[in-house]
Amino acid sequence: MDAAMERRREEIVAKKAKLAELKRQRELRKEAASNRTSLTASPDPIHQPSPRKPNAEDIDLILKKINEERPRSTGPGSPAQRAARPISVISSDNEGSTSYKTTTTMVDRESQTMSMAPLTTVFEFEAETKKDTEVIMYSKAVQTSDDWSPPKSRGVGQSDSEPEGSPTRTPRASKRLSRRQKERDEEIRAMLRREIEEELKAAQQTNPDADPTRTSGKENFPFKTLTDEELAAVERSDDFIGFVERSTKVLERALDQQLEYDILADYAQGRLNLDDEDEGQGSLAAKKGRRVKEIAQFWDDRWSKKRMISDLGFSAKFPELVLASYTKNPSAPHDPDGLIQVWNLHMHDRPEYIFHAQSDILTAKFSPFHPNLIIGGAYSGQVLLWDTRAKSAPVQRTPLTGSGHTHPIYSLDIVGTQNANNIISCSTDGVVCGWTVDMLSQPQEFLELTSPPPSKTDDMAPTCIAFPQSDPTYFLAGTEEGSIYPCHRYDRAGAKAGVDSRVKYSGHAAPVMSLDFHPAKGQIDLGDLVLSSSVDWSVKLWKVRPPAATGTSNALTSGNPQLVTPILDIAREDLVYDARWSPVKPSVFALVDGAGSLEVWDINVDVEVPVQKVTPSDNKRGAFASMPSGLGYMNRSLNKLAWERNEGRRVAVGGMDGVVTVFEVGHDLGGLETRSEEWSGVKRLVSRLEAVGEAGGK
Amino acid sequence: MAQNTFEETLSHLTRLSQKPGVQSTLILSRDTGAILRTTGLISKSSSANPNSTLPASAETSSDSYTNGRKEGGLQSAEDVASMVWAFLGAAGNLVENLDREDEVKLLTLRMRKNELVILPAPKFIMVMIHDTPPA
Repeated sequence: MDAAMERRREEIVAKKAKLAELKRQRELRKEAASNRTSLTASPDPIHQPSPRKPNAEDIDLILKKINEERPRSTGPGSPAQRAARPISVISSDNEGSTSYKTTTTMVDRESQTMSMAPLTTVFEFEAETKKDTEVIMYSKAVQTSDDWSPPKSRGVGQSDSEPEGSPTRTPRASKRLSRRQKERDEEIRAMLRREIEEELKAAQQTNPDADPTRTSGKENFPFKTLTDEELAAVERSDDFIGFVERSTKVLERALDQQLEYDILADYAQGRLNLDDEDEGQGSLAAKKGRRVKEIAQFWDDRWSKKRMISDLGFSAKFPELVLASYTKNPSAPHDPDGLIQVWNLHMHDRPEYIFHAQSDILTAKFSPFHPNLIIGGAYSGQVLLWDTRAKSAPVQRTPLTGSGHTHPIYSLDIVGTQNANNIISCSTDGVVCGWTVDMLSQPQEFLELTSPPPSKTDDMAPTCIAFPQSDPTYFLAGTEEGSIYPCHRYDRAGAKAGVDSRVKYSGHAAPVMSLDFHPAKGQIDLGDLVLSSSVDWSVKLWKVRPPAATGTSNALTSGNPQLVTPILDIAREDLVYDARWSPVKPSVFALVDGAGSLEVWDINVDVEVPVQKVTPSDNKRGAFASMPSGLGYMNRSLNKLAWERNEGRRVAVGGMDGVVTVFEVGHDLGGLETRSEEWSGVKRLVSRLEAVGEAGGK
Repeated sequence: MAQNTFEETLSHLTRLSQKPGVQSTLILSRDTGAILRTTGLISKSSSANPNSTLPASAETSSDSYTNGRKEGGLQSAEDVASMVWAFLGAAGNLVENLDREDEVKLLTLRMRKNELVILPAPKFIMVMIHDTPPA
C-alpha cells in the first residue's frame, strides 16, 4: 500500500504541474462550461455523454467536467485537502462525504453536484454486490465504466472492505484521463478497454483464490447476484432459451421414467405389489395374453385444445415417438391452423416436438426411410415436409398454385426403397401426385383418377389410398361412393396408368375411411389381403387380384368391370373410422369407431366378435372436458389408429377430443414371436371364406 | 423449435416446477455460478413445507435471493447453489481423472428423502430437487 501511496503522490505532483500549465486554459473553459451547464441543467445529459454515444462534443463535455471537478475538489480548497485526497481513496471514509459537502455549499458548483448525482446510485449497487463487478463484465458496462469509475473508488474506500482491485484502478483512470484530455476520444476508449481487460484478468486471478474457501463459508461465496438488467439480458439470450428448452425436457423425462420403474426397488422388503403381474394365474393366463392396457395419454393445454386428431403414426427408428396431426382450432384464429405434435412415451406432459402449418394437416407420417423427416398433407392441397432438426415451420412445401394438388390431401404414403423412394399423395379431386423428398416444387408424376365408364360422371373422389408391401407401382383407392378401385401409377401391359377399369371392389355403401394391405412379413404371403373400413358400420376383408393377372383373365368382360365382393364382412355397431393390421401378428387387426372404442380382433380366434374392446380412460378429457356428458357420444369418437411398427406391442388411438391414447397389447396380440400356426390358420381361413363366397355367388 | 418465445420457455419451467413431487428448481450460470432463476427455494427448510412449489418463476431470482438470505437456513438458494457447484466440481474432477476426454452429462443423486438431478451444459446448470419416489 505504501508503494501505491508513493506512486499516487508522484502522480499528484505531476498533476499539479499540469494543472499549473492548464490554468489559463481552464479559466477559459470554466466560463464556457458554466455557460454550457447552465444550458444543460438536468442531470441526464450530464451522465449520459459517456462513450456510449461516441460523440466528440459529448466527450469534450465530460472531459471538461472532469477538468472542472478536479480543481474544485482540490484547487479552491487548502493544499491540505489536496494532500488528503489520495489518502481518502485508500483508507479514510469520510473524505468522500466531506468533499460532497464542500461542493454543495456554493452555487457556482451546482454543476458538480450534478455530476455526482449518478454516483450515489452506483454507491448502493457497489455496497450490495462488492466483488461482483470483477466477475462479470458486459460490453455495456465496459463503455460506461469510464463515467463510473471515479465514484467507485470512493465507494470502496468508504466501505473499506476491498483493499485490492478497484482503488488501484480508479486513480489510474483519472490520471490517464487528465493526461489525455486533449487527445482524441477514441484513444481514451481504447485505454479504458485495455484497463477493463486488465481488471478482468485480475478478477480471474482472484477467483481461484476464492475457490478453496468456497465451501467454507458465506463470506467468500462465489456466486454473484445479477442485477435485473443483467438477468434479463441473460434470460432473453438464445442460449438460455435453448438450454431451458432442452434441460426441462430431460428433467421431465427423468421424472416420468421414475414413475414407471424404481431402480432401487427392494423386493425383499415384502411390500406386495399386487399388480396385474399376479393376475396371470390359471385360467386367467389366456386372458392376460390378450390384455389391452392403457399406458399413456397425451394432451397439451396450449396446443391440443379444440383440435381433432387427423392422423397418427409411430416413428420407425424411435418406437417411443408418436406423431399426431391435428385440425385447426376454430377459436384461436392467431394460432397456426395445422399442427403436428410428436409425443414421447417417456415424457407424458409435453410434446417432444411441435410443428406448424398454415392449413389443417389431414394426414402425416414419419418418413420410414429417414428418422428426422415428417411428411404431411394439408387441407390446402400442399404436401409439407418437416425436419426434427429444424424449427417448427415446414422445411419444404409444395406450391399452392400451378401443378400439384388444389384439393385437400387426405392420404399420402412414401413408397419405394431406402435409396429410391417417392411421396405419393392423393387429393379428393382424384389427383395423385408423386414427389421426390428433395424437391417439392414440382410433382414428378401426375395422374388423374377418373371413374370407369358405368358410373354417371367421370369424377372420382378418393378418400384413401393404400400400397401393397411388394409393389410400389400399384395401389388401391377407396372412394366416397364406397367402391374401391385398383390403380396403376404407370402404363403397363394390358392396362393404362390410372384406374384399372376392369376390376371394381364393391361392397361398401358409404365412403371408405381406410384401406390397409396385409403387412405379410412371415412364412406365407398374405400380402393380397386388404382390410377396409367404412362409415357404413362395417369392416370388410378383401382378397385382391394380382395386378398383372387382371388384364388377361377378364379380357372377355370388356366394358363391364368385374365386380369383386369381400370375402369377409364384419358388421359393427357404429361408424368405423380406421382399421389396421397388426404389423407382426398375421391374424390380428385393430379398429376404432365412432363410439370411441378400440377393438382388437384376431380372425383366427373369432370373426364375429373382437378379442378385446376398450375405451380410452377419462383421465385427460381434452376439448370436451367441460361439456355436459349428454354430448358424450360425439365427443368420444376415435378417428385414427396406428400400430407401433417394429414390435406391434402398442397401439395409439385418437379422435375428436384431441387426446392421444396409447395402449399396450398382450403377447397374444402383439410382440415379435409368432407361431407358424397363426400364418397357416389365416391361410386356411381365407381359402375357406373364398370357397363359401364362390358357392354363394353361384 | 427455437421459435418459442421467452414466455413460452418460462412456462416450461413453471410447469416443471409444478409437477408433482418437484420441490425446487435452480438454474445457475456455468462460468460465474450466478443464480439465474430459482423456484421453491425460498423457504428455509424443506420439512417446513415439503411440497411448496411456488409459482416463483414470475419473480426474479434476486428477490428470492434476498428472501432466502433474510431467512437464512439450509435451503436458501445460494446455499444449494454453492453446494451443487462444489459437488459438480468434484464430479468433474473424478471424470477428468478417469478420462481426460470425457465430461459430466448428468448427475442424479438419490437420498432417502430427496433426489437431486443436476444437468450441466456448456453455459448453464440446471438443478432439480424432487421427492424420492416411494420405493
